[in-house]
Amino acid sequence: MADDFCACSTPGGKSGIAVIRISGVDHASFLDDAVKIIRTGSDASSVSEMPGYTTALADFKDPVTGEVIDRVIISRYKAPHSYTGQDLTEISCHGGDAVRQEILRVLYEGGIRPAAPGEFTKTAFINGKIGLSEAEAVMGVINAESKRALSASGSQLAGALSEKLSAVEEELYKALSLIEMIVEFPEHDDTPENTGRVREIIEGSCKTVRQLEKSYAKGRMLTNRMNVVLTGAPNSGKSTLLNVLAGFERAIVTDIPGTTRDTLDLQIEVEGIPVTVTDTAGLRRTEDEVEAIGVERAGKAIENADLIFLLIAPDETQEDAKEKADIIAGAGKAPDTIPVFSKSDEDTNIHKDSISSYAKEKNMMDSIVISARDEESIDTVRKCIVRCYEEAGGLTGTEITVMSERHRDLLYSAAGKLGEAMSVIDDGLGIDIASSVIRSALDDIGSITGKNVSTELVNRIFSDFCIGK
Amino acid sequence: MDVKEALSREGSYLAGEYDVIVTGAGHAGCEAAYACAKTGLKTILFTLFLDSIANLPCNPSIGGTAKGQLVREIDALGGIMGKIADKCAVQMRMLNRSKGPAVFSPRAQMDRNRYSASMKAELERVEGLDIRQAQVKELLTDPEGSKAEGVITESGAVYTAKAVVICSGTYMEARTIRGEVICESGPDGLPRSEGLSASLASLGIPMLRFKTGTPVRINSGKVDFEKLTRQDGETDVPPFSFENEMNGFRVAQDQMPCWSVWTTPETREIIRSNMHRSPLYSGVITGIGPRYCPSIEDKFVRFADKDRHQIFIEPMGRETSEMYLQGFSTSLPEEVQVKMVHSLPGLENAVIQRNAYAIEYDLVDPLSLYPTLESKVVEGLFTAGQINGSSGYEEAAAQGIVAGINASLKIRGEEPMVIDRATAYIGVLIDDLVTKGTNEPYRMMTSRAEYRLFLRQDNADLRLTPEGRRVGLISEERYRLFEMKKKAIEDEIERLKNTYTGPTELLGQILEQASSVNPPSGISLADLIRRPHVTYDMLAPVDTGRKPLSEDITKEVETELKYEGYLKLEKEKIAKFADLERKLIPSDVDYDSIGGLRLEARQKLGKLRPVNLGQASRISGVSPADISVLMVYLEMRRRSEKENG
Repeated sequence: MADDFCACSTPGGKSGIAVIRISGVDHASFLDDAVKIIRTGSDASSVSEMPGYTTALADFKDPVTGEVIDRVIISRYKAPHSYTGQDLTEISCHGGDAVRQEILRVLYEGGIRPAAPGEFTKTAFINGKIGLSEAEAVMGVINAESKRALSASGSQLAGALSEKLSAVEEELYKALSLIEMIVEFPEHDDTPENTGRVREIIEGSCKTVRQLEKSYAKGRMLTNRMNVVLTGAPNSGKSTLLNVLAGFERAIVTDIPGTTRDTLDLQIEVEGIPVTVTDTAGLRRTEDEVEAIGVERAGKAIENADLIFLLIAPDETQEDAKEKADIIAGAGKAPDTIPVFSKSDEDTNIHKDSISSYAKEKNMMDSIVISARDEESIDTVRKCIVRCYEEAGGLTGTEITVMSERHRDLLYSAAGKLGEAMSVIDDGLGIDIASSVIRSALDDIGSITGKNVSTELVNRIFSDFCIGK
Repeated sequence: MDVKEALSREGSYLAGEYDVIVTGAGHAGCEAAYACAKTGLKTILFTLFLDSIANLPCNPSIGGTAKGQLVREIDALGGIMGKIADKCAVQMRMLNRSKGPAVFSPRAQMDRNRYSASMKAELERVEGLDIRQAQVKELLTDPEGSKAEGVITESGAVYTAKAVVICSGTYMEARTIRGEVICESGPDGLPRSEGLSASLASLGIPMLRFKTGTPVRINSGKVDFEKLTRQDGETDVPPFSFENEMNGFRVAQDQMPCWSVWTTPETREIIRSNMHRSPLYSGVITGIGPRYCPSIEDKFVRFADKDRHQIFIEPMGRETSEMYLQGFSTSLPEEVQVKMVHSLPGLENAVIQRNAYAIEYDLVDPLSLYPTLESKVVEGLFTAGQINGSSGYEEAAAQGIVAGINASLKIRGEEPMVIDRATAYIGVLIDDLVTKGTNEPYRMMTSRAEYRLFLRQDNADLRLTPEGRRVGLISEERYRLFEMKKKAIEDEIERLKNTYTGPTELLGQILEQASSVNPPSGISLADLIRRPHVTYDMLAPVDTGRKPLSEDITKEVETELKYEGYLKLEKEKIAKFADLERKLIPSDVDYDSIGGLRLEARQKLGKLRPVNLGQASRISGVSPADISVLMVYLEMRRRSEKENG
């Protein structure tokens, strides 16, 4: 990918539509993988085939998972007939942060970088698209915009994120200076080769960076709502649980009936976390057409869930329970699922252990046992919701959350590189390569904290080791 | 002072008219003079003492990490350091053999006297080069003091030239210090350079003062080598010079060992109880010393938790018993030095032949230089080596060849040579010095290079020989050999990518040695080489179509294949980097008039006057947004110039 860049050109927050703009020389080839054209005025079947000044109705999907993110309008401009004078593509998608951010994430992962402040206008100027008289204004805008960006990131960096990233940097410099030390001063016997220690440090840092990167997803959850799904047989205690949850919290915002009687959405708050609880029925394979509609809706709810409670009735057969677990696992949602055994009159399902271990095999979380009328049980459920929310990364006050897309993008890239550094070490490739990959990761992190790798590294070597002739 | 005024002085006379004057015949001066004379310019090289040309006053070795890469780069451009070092080596090693080709670094121990004598003999044979023992007192300029026009020596001899290259090393206003004894002299008791520094300062060139040091030398006679750890050299190391390598040169087979030993608690105690007599800590020395080359007392102070340090004992040559104690640099008084040496195991009875000392010297602030190493203050004046704040023979020689080539190109009216950070360690070295400056003697380290996987010692010729040819330092015969080698590498890589083998029993056995397993089906030899621990040589039995190729070619092929994926990523980064390097900034830009720049950026840019946007982006205090503003400004300017014809 050449140096193509993108940004959302419409303001954040809720809006009818949002426009994401991409400029550069070869983003079209990437978009061909992410965009499936449904209808357009020309014969074009891909973005790169679209003539300039045409539009297309299309599905925008994640080329890795194949999952459709949104139905969008693509507007295509060809160099030099575009705002920037380069090839330019505009994606008009539905408004709201989630869609916008998902599309940007896909673009970043495809190697299209976030635009710098004022970059579209600057590129337009460099390519002769806007006149001399506007140039002065452009120059003013660049620093003004970056100042605004800085103060936004400034307040963030002043806090916990900066502290955490600095700690990661510190660790990585330690790993790197261990490597560099033996590279720069190989004749010294008192600098043992310690790749084990280096790997250990990288592994720890990689974990932290991934957590931080994931916290962006949580930040996203904060701006939307957390989706919790209750599923299971009609007599498994779902409705009781739902009512008690709602009643206990006394915070029902709305009570919107689902489009069919198969689902019911409740808007509640759990310890300040906005949650949508969806009650689904009919989670099973069926031939019956009417029931199939309900099952499909349940499937949708499960797909979009952040947390699923799979309720198992005291009298449910092992086969039925396992089938439900299979359906959830088949949708790839097992890791977000907690099996819940409901008690009635002190009886729980007699196959509890067998079902639990089956669920565990499928990668589900540890099961819990509740009695819907017991306050302690409800507390357990609430704690599960809070824990899931916290693990996803979005938290209250003291929590470290990555809010900027650019930061998330850089962390994502850094985590990938640290993972690679570990495999380089494991494969016994040269430590020159390991070092190069770790430096790239530090470059990414340094783009957030503003440090220059090679200066920092040389200082580290000098301060940590006693060396020299 | 201008030439006319100099000639009007009593006792002065016009001694010679040259194209280029080089003052100082250390490693920088020798390369600079050689490059100028070899490219057809009438050149004179001044030295304070003719028998100390290319002296190695500190450690008797050339190469090492990052420095070995520099030597190979100098050779690839057509310099001489590598060839002389190949001839005078008494021990060679390839450092970092187990750490990956990107950090392989050749290092050689020199026969110190022979090195100096060989360099002198080599230069004496160069056509168009005069060598003269004299002390240069002053730089002569035009009446405005803005252009170099010659020099005047202590005896009043006036020499004129179109360019002057100053390579004064550590000699300008030098003082050597050991304990309470201070001498106004250069290294090794040689005379210092007096007056030149003041002459440069009077022209408005910003000056600095640094310090460095060197350890004691002992006689090997009374050393008990039984108590030392022996380290032998390696005979399968390629020579520094690519030309030698292509001609089948073999490095010395009869090599001398080096030795190592650890300091004892007694050493530590002697140093501790004499700390108050160290000029560094008593305040006698004010110059700034290098962090990577601390004196032994410095090591004990700064790393108090370490109770011992390793000392290396290296031979100074085949015809001398003198040995060098690497890691034992000190400026403590002589009597303390004797005790310190005797506290080392095996050296209890060793006799010191030369004292250790610290040395202070004047230098030019490298921020006042263009990347061509020409002064921004005085046109036609070039500086190279320790005068620019570097340390080390190799760093000096690297700058010497660049300054010499650029002086020559300027006189010949050709495009200057600027080597960037993505092309060579030489580029990293010079860019660091002229863009970031330095507050201690600057040592080259591989960690300073952003594109280390690409800047390897093995491919220095591929990176730089074409440039060496352009400037006129590579002979046609050598270039022909180079092109053959380059083509052989490319052809072999292509062949390996297109030669397939199946999962045979033979292949399985071979792969087992590399703890690898047979592929499920056919696989190219190139893909096999990319596997960890699989080597080119190992695959010989299954590669029946293989032609005999020399090792420099097969090793290069192996590295290029193994690192292909990582090199591709690095080359993408380099392409981005190069984009900014290509955007030149005219020298007359008035940064104060550019509205969008932040105040700090305006000041820094105005002071440093970077030559391109890449250099501007590396100045501390200049932000990416400032670079964007500059880019817009440059475009605006280009357009208005176009409009105004």
